[in-house]
Amino acid sequence: MFLTRSEYDRGVNTFSPEGRLFQVEYAIEAIKLGSTAIGISTSEGVVLAVEKRITSPLMEPTTIEKIVEVDKHIGCAVSGLMADSRTMIDRARIECQNHWFVYNENMSVESCAQAVSNLAIQFGDSDDDGAAMSRPFGVAILFAGIDEKGPQLYHMDPSGTFVQFDAKAIGSGSEGAQQSLQEVYHRSMTLAEATTSALTILKQVMEEKLNSSNVEVMTMTPDNFFHMFAKEQVEEVISKIS
Amino acid sequence: MSLSMEGIRPHYPDYSNAPMQRHFSPYADNGGSVVAIAGDDFVVIGADTRLSAGFSIYTRDQNKLFPLSKTTVLGCAGCWCDTLTLTRILTSRMQMYQQEHNKTMSTVACAQMLSTMLYYKRFFPYYISNVLVGLDNEGKGCVYSYDPIGHCEKATYKAGGSAGALLQPLLDNQIGLKNMEIIGDSKLTIEKATNIIKDVFISAAERDIYTGDSVIINIITKEGIKDDKFELRKD
Amino acid sequence: MSILGYNGGAMVAMKGDKCVSIAADKRFGIQAQTITCDFKKVFDMGPRLYVGLPGLATDVQTVMEKLRFRKNLYELKENRTMTPEVFGAMLSSMLYEKRFGPFFVEPVIAGLHPTTHEPFICNMDLIGCINQPDDFVVGGTASAQLYGMCEALWEPNLGPEDLFETTAQALINAFDRDAISGWGATVYIIEKDKVTVRDIKTRMD
Repeated sequence: MFLTRSEYDRGVNTFSPEGRLFQVEYAIEAIKLGSTAIGISTSEGVVLAVEKRITSPLMEPTTIEKIVEVDKHIGCAVSGLMADSRTMIDRARIECQNHWFVYNENMSVESCAQAVSNLAIQFGDSDDDGAAMSRPFGVAILFAGIDEKGPQLYHMDPSGTFVQFDAKAIGSGSEGAQQSLQEVYHRSMTLAEATTSALTILKQVMEEKLNSSNVEVMTMTPDNFFHMFAKEQVEEVISKIS
Repeated sequence: MSLSMEGIRPHYPDYSNAPMQRHFSPYADNGGSVVAIAGDDFVVIGADTRLSAGFSIYTRDQNKLFPLSKTTVLGCAGCWCDTLTLTRILTSRMQMYQQEHNKTMSTVACAQMLSTMLYYKRFFPYYISNVLVGLDNEGKGCVYSYDPIGHCEKATYKAGGSAGALLQPLLDNQIGLKNMEIIGDSKLTIEKATNIIKDVFISAAERDIYTGDSVIINIITKEGIKDDKFELRKD
Repeated sequence: MSILGYNGGAMVAMKGDKCVSIAADKRFGIQAQTITCDFKKVFDMGPRLYVGLPGLATDVQTVMEKLRFRKNLYELKENRTMTPEVFGAMLSSMLYEKRFGPFFVEPVIAGLHPTTHEPFICNMDLIGCINQPDDFVVGGTASAQLYGMCEALWEPNLGPEDLFETTAQALINAFDRDAISGWGATVYIIEKDKVTVRDIKTRMD
């Protein structure tokens, strides 16, 4: 490791002779330490489900917020460095509000991801626009939203690359979860099916026993937009899968 | 005699040593009128082609309608240099939006953007009467009118520019059917709207010296934008 | 705004076939504040002669009194009724006497000649410059709106009923777009053998 990556894994401005940016790759690795988050897009809407790591019984679980509202029609699930995610969510919210202010319409999910991506790659040397960030963000984001193209799910990694998905898992359990998603996903899936599938898969990959306080579930539908599941609703879904 | 004339000596600049004062005004009023009428599935907008300043006419053939997309047209009257700048910025903003969001800007979005663009110059405004027309997201005709600092009002008909005050009550009466006791159920057609625009411009050209020469009309339907032109009095 | 627009008001007179019309709004206000909705601005100066005085309300009444005085004196001295032309000339010269400290009124005159019954309309500025066209004249704070309305609605040789409708529509739609005119209107249709006065209900805002 020292031989191949020597000297090229420090700065974010320097490509290795093989054409790699190690700091970005390390940041992507950092996501794999984060808690698992799953998103499934159906024709009825999008569902996001995340695990919350309750590291101490004295911890207040509701203060861990891994699914957030960006605008009425866009919600995000994050995995990785939570502090970094705040900055990105802030940007997403500002961009959505600015779009509404200037154009009096909802920002499309893709445009929102694009706007956050612009922020994600602003690491490197500082320039006239001010000081740059010293490292890439250690965060992966799932964007769930409704726009004129219908329900949509986008995934973005620390390199700023964003891609649309039918179903996507991020975080520590992402490899196993992604495999399971591929097996269960089909185009005619209902939102209820997707919600149970998401929690079933989450249950499989989680180290802790799944319960209503260590997961967050959100649905994004054309009728109700951003809807965070209450404790009772989560319990209802959990009771179906066990 | 000399007492009463004291202090009111006439001023002859050529024979005076007093310092000369020059004033610069960043604005000019180049006149022009815009009229727009919206229907269920169309919208018609007309603007005269006279460009003037004071008592002189710069040109008798200046188009004041700017198509911004296949369903949106902007009509401008007022300070022509501001119009040129504003419309160029608008066109570039339309293109940037197209490239950023992979879709053409809707009339509704354009209407809001124009309002914010005007307000961003709140303390050095574009001195223009803007009338923006187009088809909304449902394909219905709509008209938006603005003041120079971005106040935006949605309407079904609007007269703006130098003859705006002359024409607006006429549109109230003929399109808005205001103060009419017996109202027929005749629907507004493209032909009717176009004819009313022609009639009101003929009236405006009679009394407003900044309106005349000819009128360019744009008819916007889902099929696209159609051009029309007719002559006005040229004195 | 100039003192001419202090109280607000709109006025129009039109020529028809063997008839003339004159109409005015009924508002009296102080700038934006409305005081009354039954203010008289059109005055009869003879059986078929009317003068409308839009402008500063105090001058409206002063000028009206002065006119009535001068016209009565003329008719007593000369022992004949005053023609609209003469009345116009008299008003014009009376206003010009105050060239440098004018009455703030822009009069509108409408009438029929006492013997020939020839229709007559004219208006003038506040220092008495007469304008005598053969279609219509306007005055007051809604004059731009009135020009637009009249230019489109007026046509030659209107009968008394059509002339009433045209005048009323022109006036009402014009002052609906003026914040300081309106609140009711009065239309006078002057014919050879009768004068019809109609008060019109309008929107009161």
